[in-house]
Amino acid sequence: MEVSKNSFKTLSEPVKQFGGLVGIIILIFLTFFVLNNIFGEGDELVAKMKIEEERIAQERKLNKLISSLPSGVLVSFDGTDNFKLSDELYEAVCKATKLIPQRAIMGANFLNFRAHEIYTINGNKIDETFVKWDDEKNKCFAGFVVSGNNVGVDETVKVSGEALSFLSTGIDTRVYFIKNF
Amino acid sequence: MKKLLFFILFSSLISSLALARSTGCKEGNCDNGYGKWVYTDKTTYEGEWVATKKHGQGTETWPNGYIYKGEFKESQWNGIGILFFPDGSTYEGEWANGFMNGEGTFTWSDGKQKKGIWKNGSFQE
Repeated sequence: MEVSKNSFKTLSEPVKQFGGLVGIIILIFLTFFVLNNIFGEGDELVAKMKIEEERIAQERKLNKLISSLPSGVLVSFDGTDNFKLSDELYEAVCKATKLIPQRAIMGANFLNFRAHEIYTINGNKIDETFVKWDDEKNKCFAGFVVSGNNVGVDETVKVSGEALSFLSTGIDTRVYFIKNF
Repeated sequence: MKKLLFFILFSSLISSLALARSTGCKEGNCDNGYGKWVYTDKTTYEGEWVATKKHGQGTETWPNGYIYKGEFKESQWNGIGILFFPDGSTYEGEWANGFMNGEGTFTWSDGKQKKGIWKNGSFQE
């Protein structure tokens, strides 16, 4: 111990300073290594940020597409005067759509009496809506969940079907027809 | 700032007036008689009215493409009528309380048909 102490003293000043610098750098690295282990999330955070960035980029792309669509009713089937969506546009509109207006819900309820009853007694409240693109079937599905929990009816009904038409407002798109028959 | 506030209030007033003018009874007599009513969501009813209720023959058109032509009672689809779905499917037959109730034929847009008795929108096998 004494020998190493003496040999350290015999070192020149620049070597000592360099050694000190290396020591500080190692200490900084160790500190960050320990902190990273304690708080983790380093790689996870980067991955999350990448996903979020991709989501924002995708959303911007979809918003650009929506603003380029004509205002009015957009359909995915033939036989009407409305704007017919191409397969590519149909998928993009489906992925960009989140809203289901009341008339689309009322229309779907024609074929689901219990859903209509609950929707009427709960004061036209919808618990949940969803619009999903099915990659396997290459179709857009939309639906909603109604429940009577707020009026003491312990029952929940889910209605879903193919989303075949949309309303383009110029700002957003909405499911306009759910084919649940 | 005051100008901006005034502009916002003025715009709101104008749009409210425009909306009020575009809804309600647009043609004829919507109390007792024949008239056309336009709702705020652009749904329209054109047909017979009794005591301010849709009663008799009429046509209700929803903005999303549903069209009902037929009998109304107390503002509901009641009696014989035909409903056109937005994709071209139809149901023609009896209605009660706004639902397919009674004898009727459902025709899908591809021509496939289901004929028989319906109860509250469901086909009775």
